[in-house]
Amino acid sequence: MKVPLLPRIAALAALIAAPLAIAAPPVVEIEIRDHLFFPSTVRVPARTKVKLVVINRDPTAEEFESYELNREKIIPGGATSVIFIGPLAPGEYPFFGEFFPKTAQGRVIAE
Amino acid sequence: MLLSTLIVVLQEILEAALIISLLLVICRLRGASGRWVWPAAIAGAVGAALYASLIEEVSLLFDYTGQEITNAALQLGIYLCLAASALLMGCGTERRERLLRLTMTLAVSLAVVREGFEILLYQSGLMASPELVTPLLVGATLATGIGASIGALFYYGLLSVPAAPRRTLTLGLIALFGGNMLSQAALMLIQSDWLPGGAILWDSSALLPEDSLAGQLFYALVGYEATPSLTQAIAYFGGFTLLAGLAVAATRRGDNPFTQDHRP
Repeated sequence: MKVPLLPRIAALAALIAAPLAIAAPPVVEIEIRDHLFFPSTVRVPARTKVKLVVINRDPTAEEFESYELNREKIIPGGATSVIFIGPLAPGEYPFFGEFFPKTAQGRVIAE
Repeated sequence: MLLSTLIVVLQEILEAALIISLLLVICRLRGASGRWVWPAAIAGAVGAALYASLIEEVSLLFDYTGQEITNAALQLGIYLCLAASALLMGCGTERRERLLRLTMTLAVSLAVVREGFEILLYQSGLMASPELVTPLLVGATLATGIGASIGALFYYGLLSVPAAPRRTLTLGLIALFGGNMLSQAALMLIQSDWLPGGAILWDSSALLPEDSLAGQLFYALVGYEATPSLTQAIAYFGGFTLLAGLAVAATRRGDNPFTQDHRP
């Protein structure tokens, strides 16, 4: 039996796209104020991609950095930024503000 | 403050210093001038200032991931310039020489933009506090001095290696640097969710922590990551192999300046 080509392509595309479209990643917000992260401990689901929204309330730029998460991004003063992390194995992942490493410290806990 | 400034600035400078040294070694071995490095550095500094001044606008692009996309584009650009340089470096015609100078100039300019804008943003935020100005300037000056010294050490170190292994070593280092650039570009695209990260391949953070001095040096030199993802590894090894292949193919052609070795 001959199946027309177009429906077959459409079915294949749907099959490929379905898992991608399942759900937008969970969103977690972190604020930077006075060179500190709020909250400084962030809980995220393990083995899932997570969208970190970092809002810098300080007038100075900060660099969100984590060796454990393999992430590094400058958040300009007064700006909002997005960093995707994970999927992570359960565990603790420290992060810090590279421009103010003494005060800006935090950790992501994947569970 | 002085120490953290020194570390932040040095981290950024190291990578640019290493690629400048490597390209200058190639020029020296080919008997070509390395004077193009000055306009390249100045153009890069201007580009870095422009990028830093536009950072807020750039950050908003692509759903708040404009910074990652721009950085990935810069790193991909550096890679393409290195690949073009590798192809051109085996030839000796005047036209190709001019082209080679252009691709090397562009590679260094892009590297300076990429590293320089972070230094500028770091500095500009803190310069607003009068008590920080002195430690910032001293820290940045020290970091520039140390970065330049490491670059010089690397340059003369490479030149002092005997001719035959030096050729392989220089090409190998260029290919490693290229692999590193592609891997960093891949990481930026993972961070912005344009590419899937894939599995974490290994964890060597206990053996060689990324925040140690050796870890930082290895990061600048060969793109060391304690916990690399599959996508990054593919980018790294793909980039390395392609660049090494191009360099070997280009320098194999018999009568060319690179293999003749013009070192006095």
